[in-house]
Amino acid sequence: MSDQQHKVAGRGRRAVVPILLATSLLCITISTRSIEGIPESIGLTIFGFFQRGFSVVGGFIADTVSSIAELRKLRINYHELSTKLEKYTNIERGLADLREENRRLKEQLGFSNDTTYQRIAARIIAKDPDNLYSTLTINKGIKEGIRKNMPVIAFQDGLEGLVGRVVEVGRGTSKIVPLYDMKSYIAARLASGTRTEGLVGGQGSPDEPLIMRFVKKRTKDEVLFGDIVVTTGYESIYPSEIVIGRVKKVRVLEYQTSIDIELDPILDFSRIEYVFVVRLEERIEDTGGSGSVGGSR
Amino acid sequence: MIRTIAFSTLLLVGCTFAQSTWFGGIAILGIAPDISILVLIWVSYRNGLVEGSVSGFISGFAEDFLSSSPLGFHAFIKTAIAIVTAILHGSFYIDKVLLPVILGFVGTIAKALIAWALFLLFGENIHVYSIFSIGLWIEAAYNGVLAPFVFLLLGLLSSILETEHRRR
Repeated sequence: MSDQQHKVAGRGRRAVVPILLATSLLCITISTRSIEGIPESIGLTIFGFFQRGFSVVGGFIADTVSSIAELRKLRINYHELSTKLEKYTNIERGLADLREENRRLKEQLGFSNDTTYQRIAARIIAKDPDNLYSTLTINKGIKEGIRKNMPVIAFQDGLEGLVGRVVEVGRGTSKIVPLYDMKSYIAARLASGTRTEGLVGGQGSPDEPLIMRFVKKRTKDEVLFGDIVVTTGYESIYPSEIVIGRVKKVRVLEYQTSIDIELDPILDFSRIEYVFVVRLEERIEDTGGSGSVGGSR
Repeated sequence: MIRTIAFSTLLLVGCTFAQSTWFGGIAILGIAPDISILVLIWVSYRNGLVEGSVSGFISGFAEDFLSSSPLGFHAFIKTAIAIVTAILHGSFYIDKVLLPVILGFVGTIAKALIAWALFLLFGENIHVYSIFSIGLWIEAAYNGVLAPFVFLLLGLLSSILETEHRRR
């Protein structure tokens, strides 16, 4: 190849770089204006498939290693559980009587219309690859009936708490923005007392407290440490009375017309493995069951 | 060249998947290391402009699909980091410890600066590191500490991650 041809090839190679940068900027421009979100959805479907694969492999290795240690514990647990089973069998008999009595009393009190929302169980398979963003990825998508903006909740230590909402849905995976994300805003109120309202936002990390803003200043003396904060249900996204967190600290600044309340999230996000996506448009009768659909795997 | 780009891209995308699925367990105060940046720096420094920037662009795009960032955010950051690293190509000898540590640390700071520049251009949809938050410094230090090990492993794969004329 002559010198001339080398120069031309070199120029062509260098031209690739500005094209790549320009394409990136163009994509950000389109994406930040949120024209459709279709490219993201297609991309999530394709890459989410491989991400699930990685999650499965990681899970398999971790499960295999831990199951060896588990075997020893299982033998001890087996004996303990046999004893407990005998005890619970006796309790169950009493429980059946109580259930029947409860049903009859509910009927009399007119609680038969008590309803709850249908939930889709899902497992968290990945977190955002970058520390700047805080997305969680779950193993359920369009095929399981998940749609954009559906609220997501979880149960931990017997408490039901808000996780966040679905922001992107692929065929087999979905992305959730947790409530501690900087882009997350939730209309909230104190669960008891004055029922003071505000707007809860995150600071980008599960370790940092949530901030409840725009709370009326005159209520500052009525907000107590440990008070529970729940969703108001004003938005169409979140159902009402879902627990968000507990009051940690009240920040009063003289020059502001409102106060800020720091909250500890009710859920420990580092321990969450399973979540429930809530289908608001479908209510089911409260029959005492879990009301969830779909498996977790 | 195409072979190098293909292998580098696959490795970078693999690192991104691993970061999102496996690295939660090794996170320090919720901050996981960014191995893909280290791989990108190594590939760009060893191969030069085109290989690094194309691999960075494609893998950055893949990362955008897995993240809630705007599409093109990581693609731009990784392309830009690849360009800066490729400019340094051949300027100095990479030893086993000190320079990898510096490159890992500085590469993370560069990522934060580029994100900040994009924030100025595109506004609130772009998340940025706060210089006062401990997250940036933990990630930079973590990447710096891991860089010598990652570079050592990548050195073993140089037959597939380096273009032939660079190896000679």
